[in-house]
Amino acid sequence: MFYHPSSKKIKNTNPIIFVHGTGMDHTVWTLPVRHFLRKKKDVLAIDLPGHGNNKDKALSSIPNIADYIFTFLDKNSISNFSIVGHSMGSLIGLEMASKQPERVNALSMIGTAFPMQVNDALLDSAKNNSQIAIDILTFMGYSYSSRIGGNKNPGIWMTESTKRLMQKSGKGVIYKDLKACADFNDGLDKARRVQANVQLILGSNDYLTPKFKAKDLIQAFKNPVVEEIKGSGHSLMMEEPNKVLEYLKKLFKD
Amino acid sequence: MKKPKDLNLDTLSLHAGSKPDSDFGARATPIYQTSSFIFPDSDTAAGIFNNEMAGHVYSRITNPTNAVLEERISSLEGGIGSISTASGQAALFLAITTILGKNSHIVASKSLYGGSHNLLEYTLPRFGIRTSFVDFRKPKLVKGAIQKNTGLLFGETLGNPGLDVMNIELISNIAHKNKLPLLVDSTFTTPYLMKPFDLGADLVFHSATKFLSGHGVVIGGLLVDSGKFDWSSNGLFKTLNEPYKGFHDMKFVDEFGPSAFINRARKEGARDFGACMSPHTAFLILQGLETLSLRMEKHISNTRQIVDFLSTHEEVKSVSYPELSDHPDYDLAKKILPRGSGAVFTFEIKGGYESGKKFIESLNIFSHLANVGDAKSLVIHPASTTHHRMDKAALRKAGVTENTVRLSVGIEDIDDLKEDLQEALKQANR
Ligand SMILES: Cc1ncc(COP(=O)(O)O)c(C=O)c1O
Repeated sequence: MFYHPSSKKIKNTNPIIFVHGTGMDHTVWTLPVRHFLRKKKDVLAIDLPGHGNNKDKALSSIPNIADYIFTFLDKNSISNFSIVGHSMGSLIGLEMASKQPERVNALSMIGTAFPMQVNDALLDSAKNNSQIAIDILTFMGYSYSSRIGGNKNPGIWMTESTKRLMQKSGKGVIYKDLKACADFNDGLDKARRVQANVQLILGSNDYLTPKFKAKDLIQAFKNPVVEEIKGSGHSLMMEEPNKVLEYLKKLFKD
Repeated sequence: MKKPKDLNLDTLSLHAGSKPDSDFGARATPIYQTSSFIFPDSDTAAGIFNNEMAGHVYSRITNPTNAVLEERISSLEGGIGSISTASGQAALFLAITTILGKNSHIVASKSLYGGSHNLLEYTLPRFGIRTSFVDFRKPKLVKGAIQKNTGLLFGETLGNPGLDVMNIELISNIAHKNKLPLLVDSTFTTPYLMKPFDLGADLVFHSATKFLSGHGVVIGGLLVDSGKFDWSSNGLFKTLNEPYKGFHDMKFVDEFGPSAFINRARKEGARDFGACMSPHTAFLILQGLETLSLRMEKHISNTRQIVDFLSTHEEVKSVSYPELSDHPDYDLAKKILPRGSGAVFTFEIKGGYESGKKFIESLNIFSHLANVGDAKSLVIHPASTTHHRMDKAALRKAGVTENTVRLSVGIEDIDDLKEDLQEALKQANR
């Protein structure tokens, strides 16, 4: 497993684990990772198998990915941890927090929904990592206004950056990711089993995982805190990096 | 599945990067004429300094007006990000010094703007960066010029002064086979005529002084990153692959992935070299960009008509423009520059040095000055100005003769322009 280079110490820590979404890698978390490191927290921003610098074969089910991460954590004697997941990463977090609830302190689900339906035609074009699948995911992945720019992070053109990241992923990886999201089931039962502090960060203009599709999930959790970011699309860490950080700081009380 | 409809160039050149101002609803992009920005509290200050929050600190590094321009040019080029600089020269310098240092080497086209040539030939060697200049029309020479310490290939979309059209696809293939990036000066073409990233270029810069602004009132540069080059593939790029002491041991490829280059350029080059663009200049370039398509269309249609007019004129010896069948890059231009080969070109007037001078002094609408890409028509006589230090042999090597005249065709009325040229040609050999 590859993880963020700043996550220097791993063994026997109690880290915040950042899990990226479809076709992405650990670099989507660079800003919050830098924050929590400055605050002397243990942080682990991972590359899922097949993503970024992780050369392991991509997995196509959320439970398998969760097991893969558990194996890594066990090997490094990490018994307790928190998870921040975006999109597919949020489902992985949910799976882990329901499977071994006693190990997870806090769970932040960013840009999430259940069920996370994926259009068949999109799945089809993703099979070959076709540029069209990347274009659609990017197009749907930003609010209308963010597609025109106005990045809070100066000088970076958001949509093209997202496309570039996805273009880096190996053949079939985006397909497997989307399939894993679409096939993820029993989400509500799983939510009921979670003992961690739960937070959901949702964008009001999210076209990929529209906020109304998180309703059932919100009801299934015990005492979830729901943070809505007005105007943001699905790419919340790009579109509203400071608000995402503000809410994460709230969850981790610093 | 159908490709989603992204916004087109004409819309992006008006809107990309700008959000209506949230305080007062101003539709235009405000000029944030300020050196620095207030931090609401110390923790936010620390957060922005540590690059864990988005925000502005100091206008040498970032500024909200400049940021709009940076996003806009990125969107027009299909890049992931850009940095605005004090001049085109500064953009070139920033591109080079972000990845290269002492004992490194560049392979550049021999047909370059004089200022770029000066930097590469005379100045950078003082800092241990050397350049081999080769004919980019000859791929074998390009390949042969690559050394162990070569870190960059560089040329212009339309080379100076003979308008060599760069075969970007071919040159970028050579670059990529050698795990090297290709930097392209796209000043003469602008994204309206060509997008170098689509053809394989990795980095693009502009002298925004020229067509991008069009009004000829500012000096400015823009460096754009395609985000396509894999910097981790070549250990030569230490600035991006190794921890940077100047920013908390940041490893740019690991923390930023595809945007490693542009982040390093800002965190080091913009910060330390300090060749920043003023927000007022950024605003003026944004104003220009709004009409990029309209202007370029007129630049090209005027140029085509003047090229026609001069090609058949009895006082004219020859005209050099890639759309003329005797230009060496005629076929290539047809393929990669279908909308036109720019609005700057040279022609040879009959007679000698004196004819050239007389012609220029007789023009009324064309302004005699050292610039290109203004909405106003411009003219210069290279032998007596930009190339005046050269003897006849050196001039010939540079593709310039004593009676070469360079025009930058503006967007005035075509009949008025033709009449101005007609009258001056009459005077030239009188
Ligand atoms: C092709 C080209 N590149 C670069 C430059 C340098 O730009 P600036 O004058 O903005 O520094 C110029 C300026 O004439 C140019 O024509």
